[in-house]
Amino acid sequence: MPRYIFKRLLMMIPVLIGVSFVIFSMLYFTPGNPAVQILGEGASPEAIEELSNEMGLNDPFFIRYFTYLKGIVLHGSLGTSYSTNRAVMTEILSRFPTTLKLAALSIVIATLIGVLCGIVAAVKQYSVFDNVATAVSLIGASMPNFWQGLMMILLFSVYLGWLPASGFDRPVCWIMPALTIGTSTAASIMRMTRSSMLEVIRQDYIRTARAKGQKEKVVVFHHALKNAIIPVLTTIGLSFGHMMGGAVLTESIFGIPGLGNLIVGAIKARDYPLVQGGVLFIAFAFGFVNLFVDILYAYCDPRIKSQYSTHKRRKTKGEVAQAT
Amino acid sequence: MKMQKTNRKASQFGRILSRLCQNKAAVFGMVILLVLLFCSIFAGVIAPYDYAAQDLASRFQGPSLSHFFGTDNLGRDIFSRVIYGARISLIVGLSSVCLAAFLGIILGALSGYYGNVCDNIIMRAMDILLAIPNLLLAISIAATLGNGIGNLILAIGIGSAPGYARIVRASILSLKDQEFIEATRSVGGNDFQIIFHHILPNCLAPIIVQMTLGVATAILSTASLSFIGLGIAPPTPEWGSMLSAGRQFIRDAWYVVTFPGLAIMITIFGLNMFGDGLRDALDPKLKN
Amino acid sequence: MEHLLEVHDLTIHFFLKSGTVKAVNDVSFSLGAGETLGLVGETGAGKTTTALGIMGLVQCPPGKVLDGEILFNGKNLRTMDSKELRTIRGNQISMIFQDPMTSLNPIDTIGDQIAEVIRLHSDASSEEIRKKAEEMLELVGIDKTRYCDYPHQFSGGMKQRVVIAIALACNPKLLIADEPTTALDVTIQAQVLDLMNDLKKKFNTSMILITHDLGVVAEVCDKVAIMYSGEIVESGSLEQVFDHPLHPYTQGLFSSIPSLTRKVHRLTPIKGMMPDPICLPEGCKFAERCPKASPACSQTPPVYEIEPAHCVRCTLYKTDAEEKSK
Repeated sequence: MPRYIFKRLLMMIPVLIGVSFVIFSMLYFTPGNPAVQILGEGASPEAIEELSNEMGLNDPFFIRYFTYLKGIVLHGSLGTSYSTNRAVMTEILSRFPTTLKLAALSIVIATLIGVLCGIVAAVKQYSVFDNVATAVSLIGASMPNFWQGLMMILLFSVYLGWLPASGFDRPVCWIMPALTIGTSTAASIMRMTRSSMLEVIRQDYIRTARAKGQKEKVVVFHHALKNAIIPVLTTIGLSFGHMMGGAVLTESIFGIPGLGNLIVGAIKARDYPLVQGGVLFIAFAFGFVNLFVDILYAYCDPRIKSQYSTHKRRKTKGEVAQAT
Repeated sequence: MKMQKTNRKASQFGRILSRLCQNKAAVFGMVILLVLLFCSIFAGVIAPYDYAAQDLASRFQGPSLSHFFGTDNLGRDIFSRVIYGARISLIVGLSSVCLAAFLGIILGALSGYYGNVCDNIIMRAMDILLAIPNLLLAISIAATLGNGIGNLILAIGIGSAPGYARIVRASILSLKDQEFIEATRSVGGNDFQIIFHHILPNCLAPIIVQMTLGVATAILSTASLSFIGLGIAPPTPEWGSMLSAGRQFIRDAWYVVTFPGLAIMITIFGLNMFGDGLRDALDPKLKN
Repeated sequence: MEHLLEVHDLTIHFFLKSGTVKAVNDVSFSLGAGETLGLVGETGAGKTTTALGIMGLVQCPPGKVLDGEILFNGKNLRTMDSKELRTIRGNQISMIFQDPMTSLNPIDTIGDQIAEVIRLHSDASSEEIRKKAEEMLELVGIDKTRYCDYPHQFSGGMKQRVVIAIALACNPKLLIADEPTTALDVTIQAQVLDLMNDLKKKFNTSMILITHDLGVVAEVCDKVAIMYSGEIVESGSLEQVFDHPLHPYTQGLFSSIPSLTRKVHRLTPIKGMMPDPICLPEGCKFAERCPKASPACSQTPPVYEIEPAHCVRCTLYKTDAEEKSK
């Protein structure tokens, strides 16, 4: 098991390098000279040239890229922000906890609502609850995140005046953004739980459990749910990734000083190091979450656990996510 | 022989169509899609006003008979703008999905069929693209390329390609070693023929479903990108940018942000219903 | 003598969108203590559904037990509430299902799965339950050190042994085995059958063995009931049915078995196929395949008792039965 974890961590490295390469290349080819941006349009050509050289902007592509990589590996530095002149890592780390808090709260809400509704919908398939829950989850999944946020502001801030429309300092500010992200994620978790439960409940071993004379509640929660929850873990992990991405919009609407907001602002300001660093950081966090989910997966399913003890290869998460 | 094949294909299509029509939700989705299509094509005829026509005297009017969805901060009729917005959404949605499918199918086919180094390289590349959350990737690409419809299509299309590549690759891997492929090769069939006539038709169903649901995701991405100012720039009436522009007026004019968002939601909902129904109709075994 | 199990006129239908599947129609049979009944029939004849009906495990919806009595030790299982029924399941009546590969929970150890059924039906302490579960493992020929292993670590044959251990852990009076050896290799089949036979004798368990294999029936069963299209068309003791098969279907089954001694050009199967349970024909369900069919077969024949305990559902024997009753 520890070997598997180590191997996966090792495999993450080329992917992260790849990500850094892709992002770096994209920003390299973006038109516009950052030096001009910093000095302003009216600066003299000599000043611009001098700053460009200083910043290494005139070096060939690969030299720039390797300098960047060297910085990350040797110094843990993602460069310096063009707009604030502070280390990118500092900027990111100052904002990341906020995004993390929001994502954590949202995922808890999403999992609770999603899994519970999914179980009930599956156990009482085709009932009124099932149909209503499916319809609501479909509507919820179709609602754009940012529009849902706007509508919630409209209802709870403008009309009812119960909740504040922006800010993140007091706990009461967290309710709406967390609900916005949480409810739309709850929709996909519910659908996944429902379909997984439906599949599991048809299995022969559920019938065996009933034939033993086991109570229905135990059959549902111990036998069915514990088996059904395993693919749902994948959905939860992927959702976390979406939350990192989707947080961008929600943070924007609710004025939350998080990482997503930082990146969007950096894009608009053409602050390349910040954009690069931010996206790379999120990619790393995403990869880490996925690894964590995979490990959890292996812990829950003894079949997979023993596969890793015997170093056999199993389906990648992508294949599982696709098959489901 | 050829006629038998056509007849069989026709009856298969008929069966799929009838299964689809039995699913009420899918029919509902189809209706929404048709309405959307209708609005896009005949926007000029249906919309009572031009989408850019400003009428500063009629700013911030609530929904009424002359302005079904009210007017925005420049006096433009929101209803007309929503109708024209359907056209943009549909264009970007369909184009980006076609681009993604095209790229994905080719990459997936090469990867699955030729295997080894080719497979490894392509799949690592897909992994890299997938390591970045979808929206962020689209944001990065859009930021690089700049505003505009073409760039938007590229940004969303490239980001969605890995999904199709995976489907095609998985299909090919499962079929590649089957005997009928060997048989084709033994009577002189070349690689191209094998891939396009024998293997791809088998993964057509999941690709079609993915494309339908992909249009929904694309429309959502378009709206999201435009919302943060990276996609379609005003005054072009894109639903997301309308929401972004109307945000600041939320306290006084609720209708400016409500209706475009409603349009997005209904469109995506319809597409999802249709896509799900399509999936059930194309392979009833997948249904619960 | 009161029988351990008496089934009278059991009828189970499934109500689907495409139509009503009449899976089991007016099935009646009885079983005494220590006896083994072989329930024989083709795939789709309704055997498994009958067994599920006795256990009260028919999925409803879409299935429904429409009619019939199931008397176990004199009490009607159909009128029991679910709580009482649960005390009987696994405890007095156990069932073994067909496919051992999918009958065990993949995330529980096999020891725990055996312990679960013991815990449900006794007040013993955890240590005692564990001991008993280990005993059961040894009884079915699995080393008790494998208590903490998971199902995927066992072969098909061993998984089936675990299933048998679970079924017999509470010493049930009736064991229903639904094609317990169909999914196994022939060599393992023999082992599992021997095991079941031994345990049956040891605990004096009655058994309903569902199978389509007449050879297995010959080895293990005391009584036989032949099912076709949801009905029992012939039933009697092993000797009665095997030596003097009365129903044309039974006769067809026996004559389609290839002989080891006679050389033939072609085998003699029964022509045709079992009717679709959604649209069953009126009258005798076997008529359209029967070489001895007559216009009288358009009426559903009642069950005639030709010899003591040897019954057949066929109009051919109407006159015999009438004569006998005179």
